This record gives sequence, C-alpha cells and structure tokens, in this order.
Amino acid sequence: MTCEKCDFKGYYRFKTVEEIFEKSDFYSSEISNVLEVRNLRKSYKDVLAVNSISFNVKKGEIFGFLGPNGAGKTTTIRVLLGYLRPNAGEAFIFGKNIKDNIVDIRKNVGYIPGELALYEHLTGKQFLDYFSSLRNTDLPLLDNLLEIFELPLDKKIKTYSKGMKQKMGIIQAFMDDPDLVIMDEPTLGLDPLLQQKFYKFLREEKKKGRTMFFSSHILSEVDKICDRVAVIRDGDLVALESIENLKDKRGKKIRVKLVGEPKELTIMKNAKVVDGWIEFETEGDIDPLIKKISKYTVLDIEIQEFSLEDIFMRYYSGGEE
Amino acid sequence: MDFSIIKRIFRFKIAVQTVKENMKATIIFTLLFSCMAAMYSSFYPMFKDLLADMAEDPEFANFLVGFSGESGDFVSYVGFLNLELYSIFFVLILGIIVAFIAATIISKEIESKTIDLLMSNPVSRMQIIIERFIGLIPMILFINFITMFVVYGVTFAIGENIDFFNLFIAHLYAVPYFLAVIGIALLISTIIDEKMKSSIFMIAILVGMFFLEYISHFTSDYKNIGFLSLTHFYKPYNALKSGNVDANGVIVLLSVTIVSIVISIIYFDRKDIKV
Repeated sequence: MTCEKCDFKGYYRFKTVEEIFEKSDFYSSEISNVLEVRNLRKSYKDVLAVNSISFNVKKGEIFGFLGPNGAGKTTTIRVLLGYLRPNAGEAFIFGKNIKDNIVDIRKNVGYIPGELALYEHLTGKQFLDYFSSLRNTDLPLLDNLLEIFELPLDKKIKTYSKGMKQKMGIIQAFMDDPDLVIMDEPTLGLDPLLQQKFYKFLREEKKKGRTMFFSSHILSEVDKICDRVAVIRDGDLVALESIENLKDKRGKKIRVKLVGEPKELTIMKNAKVVDGWIEFETEGDIDPLIKKISKYTVLDIEIQEFSLEDIFMRYYSGGEE
Repeated sequence: MDFSIIKRIFRFKIAVQTVKENMKATIIFTLLFSCMAAMYSSFYPMFKDLLADMAEDPEFANFLVGFSGESGDFVSYVGFLNLELYSIFFVLILGIIVAFIAATIISKEIESKTIDLLMSNPVSRMQIIIERFIGLIPMILFINFITMFVVYGVTFAIGENIDFFNLFIAHLYAVPYFLAVIGIALLISTIIDEKMKSSIFMIAILVGMFFLEYISHFTSDYKNIGFLSLTHFYKPYNALKSGNVDANGVIVLLSVTIVSIVISIIYFDRKDIKV
C-alpha cells in the first residue's frame, strides 16, 4: 500500500496464528507467579483480620498456608476469590487484577470452601449437572475423580456423611481441570484413609503441573505435600519458606549427662543445665558440638530432632528471631 | 458484533435452577388458588341477594369500599370477584406468598453458605441477582394465568357473564404488581442475611402497605398515604369491568421493580460475603 501524503510504499502483514496465540496465552508462558498478593489488608469494623500481607504462588507448586484458627487464612482466601473487598492492597491471579477480572479468573480457579455447604436438596448428580452448566466448559477430570472418590450420585446430598460431602467438594473443585485450586482446610472431615488418598491425589495433580493453594492448621500435612509454606499469625505473615529450609532451620535438641559440669560447655549461649543434664539447641551442623562433648566422660546422651511443631509453636508464640 | 460475553453472562442456568427449586411451591399454590378461585366464583349465585341487602346498609358498604377500591360495586358478579377474589386473595394472600418466597432467594444462600460454592463459578454478582429475579417470574405467571382460566371456566359453569378479554387484562395487570413485590423482596433478601428474618420483614412491609391503602380510603386527611402502597396501583375492578388499566399505576409498579433490582445489584455488589 502507499501513503497518501508522502507516497511511501510499504506493506501490511497480518499476524500469524502463532503470534496471536502467543499473546493471548501470555500468562502461562511469561508469568511464573500464578498468584501475587501485595500488601493485602482486610478489617471488619474494628477487628484487623489480615494485616498487609504479601506473597507469591509460583506456577506448579503446592503452596501451604499455615496458621491456627482465626489467624486470617479464610479471610485471605475470601478476599482472593472476590467474596470480600480488601481495605488496601491488591492481588493478581494469572496476572489479572482480582478487582476487575474476578469472574474471568474464576473460570480457571477451583475452590474448596472451609465450611463446605452443598445444595442439600439436590442429588449428587443434579448438583454436578448444575455446576457443570455454570462452569460452561468440558469436565475432563470428572470420570477419573469419581473413580478415586466414589460417591452415591443418585442419593440426595442431605443423606451424605461429612466425608462424602467433602469428597463432593474436592470433585467439583477439580472436575473442569482448573489451573489453580484454592483449598481451605480441605482435609477436615476426611477419615485418615481418605486423607492419604487425597494427599496422593494432590501429589499426582502437582506432577501434571497444577498449582495449588493449600490452607491448613495441621503442620504435618503441609510438611507432607507442600513445596513452600507461608505461616500466618494474627493476620501477619510471620514466615515464608520452602519446606526444606524450614526443616533445616529446625535443628536438634541434644541432652548430655557428663561427669562434672564443664564450664566450657555450660557457658555456651545455646546451653542450659537442667537436673544435671546439659541441654543444647543446635541449628545446622552438629559436628563441632559433638567434638567438644567428646573431650569429657559421657554418661548418657539423647539427641532429638526439633519437630516442625516446635518451630510452628515458636512462630505462633511470637518467639521467632 | 461479539455476543460471546452476553451469551456467557446470560445463560440463565441460575434462573433455570430457581424455577426448578420453586416447582413444588408453584404447583401447590396454583392448585390452592385454582380451588379458591373456583370456590369464590361458584359462591356468587348464593350470595347475590344477600349482598344486595347488605349494600343497603351504608356503614357496611363503606367498610367494603376499603377493600374493593373506589368502585363501591360488590353486588355485580365482577364487583363480587373483585372484592372477594382479587382484592383479598390475589393482592394480599398471594402477595404474601410471593413475598415470602422471593425474600429468601438470596438470604437463604448466604445463611446456608451455599453462596460460597455458587460464587466460585464464573458468575458475577449481578448475574446472580438478575437470574434469581428472572427465575421467580414463571411462578407468578403460572399461578396467575391458571387461576384466570379457572375463573373463566367456573363463570361459564354458573351461567354468569364475564368478558374474557377483560379478565385477561385484569390478570395481565397483576403481573407488574407481583413483579414489584418480587423486586422489593429481592432487595430485602440481599440486605438481610437470615431467610426467616428477611421473609417476615417483607411480609410486614406488604401487610403494612395494604393497611396504609385501606386507611387512606377513610381518612381524608391521610388520603395521600395510599400512594406509599403498592396495592394502591393495582386496582383490578376497572380492568374486569371494562378492560381499562391505570397506565400510571403500571408505570409506577414497573419503576418500583426496576429501581429495586438496580439497588439490589449495587448493594449486593459491594457486600462482603462473610463466613
């Protein structure tokens, strides 16, 4: 074509299918953070529920969100899903601001609520039909899910046990193959056998590349399945670490009973004397300490790992340094 | 033009679900009102002379004016129907039933917490309000027009006369009235989170309106308070008699409906859905 003003000749090339596709699918290729939370703050009247927290959830990870009841876990999740309006801060899911795109975002997000309430008057099948019509998309995982988590679909949901309802919660969250699944204490109400089944299922889903946000107040399960964990207490984020780091940090508790009480050991700052035992709390390498102890006559020795619970309690009681 | 967004928003699945949920109630109340309509219309031949005598008593006649509107006619068949069937059973009783059901439509989801799962789907809050409203419309249409056919059939059976077109207009004219009732109930349902509270509150409003209108007929000082009442704007007598409809009344009722829905949408959109 030719410019009318300057007679400059040129041509216009239409975009190729690849170029268009690349642009429309940009978040999956360029943005590795599926979820970004920036200074999110939410208060009810005079109670501050979430105090300016920030964190990112990376694509393909299981992100643990750990805290005692009432710490602000559910409030955070409800803000992210657009049920509550934040007082300050912002959040992005798939790179889209939740403020303007929440309906669009929900197309690709599964959710298991903390207090799961299903439509009790419907049968399992009617419920799934209703929800699949609302999702308005294929349900590639439904058959597989129904195989793993068996349910009497012809019965009314009000006849279901708590565990069965929870299974339904899991099924509806995963059935349309969402990129992100947000779970608010999903194992509550599952018996131990089913819990194990669920953990296994989550690990398999992770292998497929699904991103999962897993809120819990049970440390051992977060330890078992999560890659990274954020610890929330009284609305504040007190820790954000990978599970490995957290484990490294927990160190060991060493108790020894020696002949006499050598000053060299008792004056160490991580040592204290209890009932004739000398107790050490160590982080990381224990070799130097053992070498020091070996100079003396050892009557008895106990080595204990700090449990994650211990660390957890330290965070909760505000005792972290 | 790209209709995909519109298509996505208005797929009416929540509306369809609402219709299904209210199916049982719709059938029960249709039967109930059909029976009521059949009973009252067929009573007319028995009451005809009695009513004529009673109309001689000015005090009693005055008392009935409050219910029958300004017509003062409750002796003719149309006047009788207007007074017994439409002014009381339709406007008040069916109004209360519709109000009761509509006032739970959002509050029950919040109270039972099913709103959490509902909103995890790609549906907007506006869509929930609009579809819930639309989902209630078939119920009133069904009860309303089935009752109309029953009235027509019984009229024919007892050998009285009523113009079908006028009867149809009277029932058509009831639609904006019920839409307005649903609209206000919906608004209350979005504001009050407990379904029993919202229902009772809505019924209190409706009954209160009914009495405001009633009182306005007797006290000239308060003649204008009738305008605060929805029932002031639905007067089926003229429609039954001659097919005339108070166009201003219809406009007021539809405006109340639309304003209620708009406020519901705005309010619900800003509302925090707490656990």
